Amino acid sequence: MNFSDILASIIHDMKNSLGMVINTLEEITSAGDDANLDKHKIPVLQHEAKRLSNNLIELLTLYKIENERITASIDEVHVDEFLEEIVIDNQVFAQSKDVSLEYQCEPELTGFFDEGLVRGVINNLIGNGLRYTGSQMLIVAGMIDDHLVIQVEDDGEGYPQSMLDAQAAFDRNESFVEGHTQLGIYFAGMVARLHKNLEKKGFIRLSNGNHLKGGCFSIWLP
Amino acid sequence: MKLKRSYLEDKAYLVVDDFGDMRSLIKNMLLSCGVSDISVAVNGLQAIASMESRRFDVVLCDYNLGAGKDGQQVLEEARHRGLIGLGTVFVMITAENAREMVMGAVEYEPDSYLTKPFNKDLLRSRLEKLIAKKQNLLTVEQAMDRKDFTQAIHIIDEKIAGKPPNISELNKLKGEICLQAGEIDLAAAVYEKVLAVREMPWARLGLGKTLFLSKRYSEAKEVFQGLINDNERYTAAYDWLAKTYKCLNQMQSAQEVLQKATDLSPKVVVRQRALGEIALTNKDERTANAAFSSAVKFGRHSVYKHPSIYANLAKVTAASKTGGAGLKIIKEMEREFSDNAEASFYAAAAESVIHEGMGNAEASKKSLDRALGLYDTLGQHASTDYSIELAKTYDKLGDPKKAIDLLHQAVRNNHSDEELLSEVGATMESLGLQDDSANFIAEIRKEIVRLNNKGVQLAKVGKLEEAIILFEEAAEGMSGNKVVNLNAARVLLMNMEKNGMAAGEMGKVRLYLDRVKRVDPDNQVLRKLQIKFQEMVSRV
Repeated sequence: MNFSDILASIIHDMKNSLGMVINTLEEITSAGDDANLDKHKIPVLQHEAKRLSNNLIELLTLYKIENERITASIDEVHVDEFLEEIVIDNQVFAQSKDVSLEYQCEPELTGFFDEGLVRGVINNLIGNGLRYTGSQMLIVAGMIDDHLVIQVEDDGEGYPQSMLDAQAAFDRNESFVEGHTQLGIYFAGMVARLHKNLEKKGFIRLSNGNHLKGGCFSIWLP
Repeated sequence: MKLKRSYLEDKAYLVVDDFGDMRSLIKNMLLSCGVSDISVAVNGLQAIASMESRRFDVVLCDYNLGAGKDGQQVLEEARHRGLIGLGTVFVMITAENAREMVMGAVEYEPDSYLTKPFNKDLLRSRLEKLIAKKQNLLTVEQAMDRKDFTQAIHIIDEKIAGKPPNISELNKLKGEICLQAGEIDLAAAVYEKVLAVREMPWARLGLGKTLFLSKRYSEAKEVFQGLINDNERYTAAYDWLAKTYKCLNQMQSAQEVLQKATDLSPKVVVRQRALGEIALTNKDERTANAAFSSAVKFGRHSVYKHPSIYANLAKVTAASKTGGAGLKIIKEMEREFSDNAEASFYAAAAESVIHEGMGNAEASKKSLDRALGLYDTLGQHASTDYSIELAKTYDKLGDPKKAIDLLHQAVRNNHSDEELLSEVGATMESLGLQDDSANFIAEIRKEIVRLNNKGVQLAKVGKLEEAIILFEEAAEGMSGNKVVNLNAARVLLMNMEKNGMAAGEMGKVRLYLDRVKRVDPDNQVLRKLQIKFQEMVSRV
């Protein structure tokens, strides 16, 4: 798995997003001065633009991890405030897709992690999740075995068996198949492993059917 | 306990962005949050001008502002000059993740970074929290404004006892205030407590600072080096490591460390300046030239732009290229700092050295006389830097005796400032003025410590008259020495408490306290004496 593979994959994904934006804009402009401008087109634009933006942030971060050997700048984060902001940030897109997006955590919960990096990961997972979910997405945070665990769940079909089986390989940073979902997970794994405390290192897990019936992604931060 | 949200509506906002679309976008977001008091600025200069004319509660400033000042420089100048108070929320808006800026920042950090793009709801939520945090710390800030650090620490302790979710932030703030107050042991306790739970770079750095301030240099060195090993981009650790090497009289290592840090983040003016100065001491003119050039280049719009940077650049340029090239930089400097006595002093001193090197004895003498005149106007106890600059000038002009007198005076005025003493020592040695500078400085120091102890002892046993004579004489000879001036003021106050107020003595107390205030406004002994003096005056 090297940087040029990732680059190709992200470019591919961004090209798709841009294609959607261009087509949608063409449809809107060809409708001319028609006052009945299709309001449903706007969320498509919003969603793809947000996706482009997330992709670029992810790309920049990956570039820096590869080339500048950055380390996570870990600080104490008030998790409730952190998740609240993320949900606010993504609420418009969720609503435009008629998905309810919520989070659950203890109001007092604090964790130690790099806010910028983890924010990028969760934003990406939400972006992907909104594609696969049914009508609901849920972010759950809590302490398990001395780790802060943040779970991003949806009520879609869940992760395919092949991905669940490939988990061990994620930890080793291998097994990369085309497709953006996997890229997002690769990125998340990288960010998780940048988080260390004493002898422990962060990691990620995939499962199906936790609080919701669909896929559940979790990032474990020591 | 969750902090109560605050209202945004009644606050005054300043939006700084060089793009018109972005400005109106943010302005519209604020309007739709119900805010009405919104000012805008299109560049750093305008932003500073707006902050000069009125107070803002919230500043939203983009990091990239085109040519001129960038967002960090706006923040530095605004905080440095007190244009925004501690109660003002400063939000830096950035195009991407802010980690480099966080790592590269030296003294001032914004209250929050906001990464573009963001929407109205996120902005509102973030601002509500930030304003609430500021309000929660209002009493701490008021105490800080009065320089009442004891009270500030006390208030924070009460807040920490409530175990709020932002306890980490409070600990960080408490550590900083303790350091500023000179309460080194208290600061160390804060950092150790945090580190006992979890390794945190800011706490480790703070602990290193306490070791440095306790003069435990080799332990401090280990701490700073360890931080760099863990994260080679943590530039603040480099700055402290370089300071530590300086105090250990390892000037070459100090230079190497600063070189690495400036390679990592070249835009920090103070660091480039420090590198240039240490390179000069080490007689590495190439490095000095490069560092001062960068300091001039990046500092053009910065509040840290300083005439000594230009003067040093002019001198190294004259030495390595031609005198004419050096004089050209002096001309540029005079344009950049018009009507500034300090800059005229540095310009005249450098000019005199450059003319001397070009063989223009007469022009050199004329410049020196001008420098001397300005040195007197500035007041010799205003800054030890002037004395050192003048000493270097005398040395270059072939008058080592005057040079050494000035450096001795610098030592006598700063006998407790380790970093400055090593600098003076290194200067003496690099100028070839003193072979064993460390020993020499230690001697002067012992003498002053002995004198202070003697005076304090006299006062203790009630021989106030004798103590006053001793300290007044000492303060006469060492007008820039904090400890001596504080002691002189203290014994005079003790005497007036016993024998009643006297106009002459009151004037002297004022003089001594003012001298200390100029060089160390945060000094806590100064604050106590000031309060005591005011109480006595008001009783009369």
